[in-house]
Amino acid sequence: MSSPVSGSGRGPLSAPAHPVAGAAAADVAGPEAALPLAEPPLARPLHALAIDTTSDVLSLALLHGGAPAGGCFDAIGRRTTQEILPRIGALLEAAGLAPGELDVLVVARGPGSFTGTRIGLAVALTFAQVTGRPVVGVDALHLLAAQSEPAPGLEFPVLLNCARDEVYHARYRWEAAGLARVSGIALTGIAALAPALAGQAVRLRRFRPGLGTTPEQEAAFAALRPLPLRHPQPDGARLLAVGLGRWLAQPQRDWRRVEPIYLKSEAFRTWRAQP
Amino acid sequence: MSRPPSRAAAPQAAGAAAAASSRTPVAAPLGLAIDTTFDDTSVALLRGRREVLANLTLSQYADHAEFGGVVPERASRKHLEAIHPLLRAALREAGARDPAGAPLALEALDYVAVSNLPGLLGSILVGMTVAKTLAFLLRVPLIGINHIEAHPYANFLVHGDLPFPLVHLVAAGGHTLLIHQEAHFRWRIVGRSVDDAAGECVDKVAKMFGHPMPGGPVVDRLAMEYAPGPYDFPRPMLNEPTLDFSFSGLKTALLYFLREREGAAAPAEGPVLSAFLAAVADVLVGKTLRAARQLRVPAVTVSGGLAASRKLRERFEAACAEAGLRLYYPPPALCTDNAAMVGCLAAYRYEAGRFDDLTLEGYPNLPL
Repeated sequence: MSSPVSGSGRGPLSAPAHPVAGAAAADVAGPEAALPLAEPPLARPLHALAIDTTSDVLSLALLHGGAPAGGCFDAIGRRTTQEILPRIGALLEAAGLAPGELDVLVVARGPGSFTGTRIGLAVALTFAQVTGRPVVGVDALHLLAAQSEPAPGLEFPVLLNCARDEVYHARYRWEAAGLARVSGIALTGIAALAPALAGQAVRLRRFRPGLGTTPEQEAAFAALRPLPLRHPQPDGARLLAVGLGRWLAQPQRDWRRVEPIYLKSEAFRTWRAQP
Repeated sequence: MSRPPSRAAAPQAAGAAAAASSRTPVAAPLGLAIDTTFDDTSVALLRGRREVLANLTLSQYADHAEFGGVVPERASRKHLEAIHPLLRAALREAGARDPAGAPLALEALDYVAVSNLPGLLGSILVGMTVAKTLAFLLRVPLIGINHIEAHPYANFLVHGDLPFPLVHLVAAGGHTLLIHQEAHFRWRIVGRSVDDAAGECVDKVAKMFGHPMPGGPVVDRLAMEYAPGPYDFPRPMLNEPTLDFSFSGLKTALLYFLREREGAAAPAEGPVLSAFLAAVADVLVGKTLRAARQLRVPAVTVSGGLAASRKLRERFEAACAEAGLRLYYPPPALCTDNAAMVGCLAAYRYEAGRFDDLTLEGYPNLPL
């Protein structure tokens, strides 16, 4: 596993360019402030855990005294519900840490697998309930964006295809202070989305390519030009970098609440209107 | 009764579960029980087997009304929204019993129990993940509970230790079951509905008459107010030797009864629904008493949502008195899904040292 809080290598932490949106709904609907990716200048070295269960990959990363202390990025699918707590336990035990010693927990809050997202949030919110420690929610598209090579001013679309032709998407930009989401997150069919992406390099992740799609839709996915990546996986290191940056920029905020991002109605009938 | 694989003595998971197993058992454990198997989020705190410190349930009926039935994904989402506030409310309620009045501390818990089957899997996983995380962080045992096995424990909760053997009728939501229990944790299903559950049938028939979910209370009220009149509906499988049930034919009989009268003066719903519930009650009472006779047990219990029906209780009381059987049923609040019954069974499991580890799985179906 690569270094968790290395991200951009931009030097010391600086304040975000804009205030970070407070409410979860606003987080999804509107742009999100730039987030620095840098070593946190803490008085005491930080202990932190990152959890991402929004796909069929169980992704964990532990930061022990400010240094990476293991993790996983394993496609275990439905076994996540059985393995997540034993694996967290083993990670902490190997590092000689008790759960209560963690300063902060970072969790991916979707979009992605609905059930997977809930498992991660159920762990994180229960952690907050028991320990009173902060829990930082990060949107899953942000992790995909954080895989890219930092280049000031670079703006690019990030696409996540979970089922059939549906694409969760948003735009991100590398700013002086770090990576910022500059649009709301929306859900659109690839055919309707493709024309707007022409000529742009995109970050695309697909869960089950070819399942439930037509040849035309597959052709639209294939025509997308991939963005060069600095990090091969949207792993726990990316999650720690984004989440810790957000927390350290606003340590006084109430970090005990995290809302899941579904962006799709429960009855699967309608898609939420795009912002 | 076969158990899901996770109930077998599995090796303890790393970390907290291993530590939990080494804790010294206490005489009157403080337990937390969680149930999110269907559309109710339930949390209870119990001291020992029967002292209920808090028993809170958040019903989702209104949240699913627009669909005319429970939408599984919506149920899962609502459970995640509700469970932590409900847990905090339960801790406050339990704490309010103390003169100091401070919320009960999670750190005081001796075990965490959760229903891990049967039900909507997505919903089960919410409660189960919360329970596992609590057990992990608090380093206490985790106890996975079969929701169906827990229903009769609403009777143990209010009537004390009932002597075995017993026959239980569990008429809950999607299940109508007859259970023969010889000891704690030793039981088997001796009869079950081969199609609709009785409660499902009552809800669907109530819907035919324009009543929203849950239909049981309104059908029961009408059955208490009206005589069945001239109407008579079938008692499916009542005279067959099997202990299994069937209710879909009765539902269809009501459907045809209404169709045949379309356009004519509508029949008064009171007598019709009274006659309908009498048919349901005859089948439930008849099969339960047959099971008691066949299995030579001196006592029966009734539990599950339909056990709240006053009409059903009247029928059971009369029939059991005539047959010389002891009858137990819980107060109405403990008939519908609740976590206190889960906690009561979990207290017996705690005393027996029957714990699960953090790899506990959730199962949508009841094992055959």
